Amino acid sequence: MKKIILLVLVVISGYSGFSQNKTPGKINRFTDLTVAAGSGRGTAAFSYVHNWELGKKQKWEAGFGARLTSYFGSKQEHTTAPARLARGTTVPFAVVFAPQKSENWDTLTVQRPWSNALNLSVNFGYNFTDQWSAGFNIDLAGFTLGRKTAAILTSNGITTTEPAAKPSAFNLLLTGDLDHGSLNSEFFLKYKLNSRWGIRAVYQFYFSEYKTATAKQVAPDGTLVTRFRQKGNNLGAGLAYHF
Amino acid sequence: MQDSLIIFKTKKSTYMKKLLTWSIPLLVLFTACKKEKTNTSVVSMDPVDTTAQLAYRSVFTDGPYGTTMGVAKIFKKNNNYSLVLDSFSVNSGPDLHVYLSKERQPVNFIDLGVLRNTNGTQVYTISGMPDFMEYKFALIHCQAFDHLFGSANFY
Repeated sequence: MKKIILLVLVVISGYSGFSQNKTPGKINRFTDLTVAAGSGRGTAAFSYVHNWELGKKQKWEAGFGARLTSYFGSKQEHTTAPARLARGTTVPFAVVFAPQKSENWDTLTVQRPWSNALNLSVNFGYNFTDQWSAGFNIDLAGFTLGRKTAAILTSNGITTTEPAAKPSAFNLLLTGDLDHGSLNSEFFLKYKLNSRWGIRAVYQFYFSEYKTATAKQVAPDGTLVTRFRQKGNNLGAGLAYHF
Repeated sequence: MQDSLIIFKTKKSTYMKKLLTWSIPLLVLFTACKKEKTNTSVVSMDPVDTTAQLAYRSVFTDGPYGTTMGVAKIFKKNNNYSLVLDSFSVNSGPDLHVYLSKERQPVNFIDLGVLRNTNGTQVYTISGMPDFMEYKFALIHCQAFDHLFGSANFY
């Protein structure tokens, strides 16, 4: 545990030191449309990114943006969301590496999910050459709108109907299973076709969260659970336009 | 010089068009879910074990979203139960499943699987030993939209 906290502190101090030493340089602004797909599901994301190029050689870049992600699918399984039930710890950052407590998980099969999440995002990138770059981005906070849909809650082999599951309204990145709502994150490799256009190959990790109205999981501690989350691995492609 | 620039731009434009042309069918391919379809073209004639004991029987009635006919029968043999849909027919619908349910509009239910055929005689294995005093309804239910197509009440 101490090692993990120490590692986090080292990483944070490294980033802050990095940002203090480098003066912000050229601005890299672009919009991006990315489509990604996983098993029985897909996403379409439109984003705006405002990055500052950093470092002596301006190889690094970091910045903020906004992203609208539309998520859709069929019969998508979501499992118990609260971190105190889903994971071995509720300590921020450490929760990412904590063992899963799958014995506490129930499954909510959302029949026809469709949600639209608008979030602020943070972006990091490294430019290998003028044409090739790679990076990472993740949603920070925002809100979600989406339709209600039927779902089936399976708890210890017993199935019950949830007539109107709906996406959680608010999104907040708190790391791992502490997160709330629908959050998009991507690792990508980018190739710039010219000064304006670029294409991206994307590995997407998408958190989708649905809440139930009537069907509730009774947790081992007696509490009622209405939040269920899917952590989906998707692959996709993007098209970027630089200003 | 200008000609080569035009050729270069045309090539890029063609490349972009190809990329967009391929990305759409690829997305559809990836997102295409596994559809468990109910057969509507042939009449099902599952063999029924004549040595099994008839435990319960009820005639189907229409639900709010479908027209259902036929008889639901629960057979028991060596402590194993099966549900037979006899002389059965229902109008086609999306994602139709066969349920044993505690309620006519299912809240607590056992999913026996996708309805295999909209017509004919079909046999569905029931896992475990459900209490038919509780699970007293056989249902034809559209799972995706939570719509009831038909029900049979054993009590």
